[in-house]
Amino acid sequence: MARLGFDERELQSRRAIFELHDEDLQRLTAIRAIAERHMAEVVDGFYALLLGHPGTRRFLTDDAQVARLKRTQSAYFLQLFDGRCDLPYVENRIRVGAVHERIGLAPKWYIAAYRRYLALLLERVVLDIPDRAEALAAYQSLKKIVAFDMSIAIDTYIAANLESLGRHQAAIRELSTPVIRVHERLLLLPLVGAIDSQRAQQVMEMVLVRVIEEKARAIIIDIAGVPVVDTKVADHLLKTTAAVKLIGAQTILTGISAQVARTIVQLGVDISSMHTLARLSEGIELGLELVGKRIAPKEPS
Amino acid sequence: MGSLAFESQTLSSETMAIDREEDIVHVRKRARMLAQARGFDAFACAALTTAASELARNVWVHGGGGQATLEELSDGNRFGIRMVFRDQGPGIADLERALQGGYSTARSLGLGLSGTRRLVEDFAIDTRPGEGTRVTITKWTRF
Ligand SMILES: Nc1ncnc2c1ncn2[C@@H]1O[C@H](COP(=O)(O)OP(=O)(O)O)[C@@H](O)[C@H]1O
Ligand SMILES: [Mg+2]
Repeated sequence: MARLGFDERELQSRRAIFELHDEDLQRLTAIRAIAERHMAEVVDGFYALLLGHPGTRRFLTDDAQVARLKRTQSAYFLQLFDGRCDLPYVENRIRVGAVHERIGLAPKWYIAAYRRYLALLLERVVLDIPDRAEALAAYQSLKKIVAFDMSIAIDTYIAANLESLGRHQAAIRELSTPVIRVHERLLLLPLVGAIDSQRAQQVMEMVLVRVIEEKARAIIIDIAGVPVVDTKVADHLLKTTAAVKLIGAQTILTGISAQVARTIVQLGVDISSMHTLARLSEGIELGLELVGKRIAPKEPS
Repeated sequence: MGSLAFESQTLSSETMAIDREEDIVHVRKRARMLAQARGFDAFACAALTTAASELARNVWVHGGGGQATLEELSDGNRFGIRMVFRDQGPGIADLERALQGGYSTARSLGLGLSGTRRLVEDFAIDTRPGEGTRVTITKWTRF
């Protein structure tokens, strides 16, 4: 509900879009008795569609489950004729959409099933209304509420998908900013790939968090895998260096190719606030020195 | 752009949209591809790619989006790459200051325009307040 941003205002605006007025709801309440009489046929017909197709049959594993679903479906069916279209109603519809999304039922099934639903409602319920004009009006009202329901179901699908996409992106971002502990108080961040604004932000935050966690005295940032070092990337590295300095650590920049060195100079960027070295191995040596350690050859025995 | 004795000939031309941040990467990748294919050395490739990145970013950040046109040129002896960056943004009010370097209305380094100028052989800028900005740069292979 919250993630769909569904509140009273959205409810009213959506009802307006679907022209779902109070008269429609009243019309549906008026035929509730007829609907109830045909409920079992509609629900059975609906499941006949689902069971008849391999794409949906695989979701229906055993008879007990089908019986349970039919009960849920019957409740859903009757709610169409409750004469209510308020926030609890919407909440219920969102839940239905969320369940289907979770089990991986694609929206095409949802829409196809709704089409069958409308056909069944027309054959069984609407044609049983004695007055022709009344029947036609009732059918229009039914179509409105079913379309309204569908819109909510589809929105739920989209919201759930966006949410999982966001989770994946966060996971990838985390993977692409691996701050490695080289030694006590010495960290290494190998940057690979383009640094867009979002990633720059992520890198800075990750670096600061890790420097504090590890009580690091120095962090090596290796840019050998960064395709282009423009003023934006340089600016970002300088800002990270400044922030790292505030929490008591130094930054060592390594992996600077001859081309990148020359480009940085031509751009006129001053990176003297960082230690800069061509090779990562040199960066590690300097880093160890900064934390009071040294790589020494083994004593001859 | 009169640094050449010979009339230069346009071999190809393509235009790319710069509407989203990812487009900056697309433009500079394309610039690098063209430069490599035409035999620019590693330093020239880096310069051209970086210049493309700077100007495409300016279009996106300051110009509110626009287009980049990438052209391959030949003057009979050398190959060249010309890039035109266009936007219909606010234009640059104080061009002299913007070209001096160290001045930014976006609280960044302000070294994009001045730096790019040093990375390429030809650099031309046409900007009108309220109408937009067009920056044209060209870089040539060595003899
Ligand atoms: N395409 C453009 N449209 C409008 N203003 C621009 C454009 N390109 C550059 N500018 C102006 O020139 C200034 C300097 O640009 P630049 O040297 O690239 O530095 P930065 O992008 O870091 O601000 C910008 O801050 C901006 O005010
Ligand atoms: Mg810039």
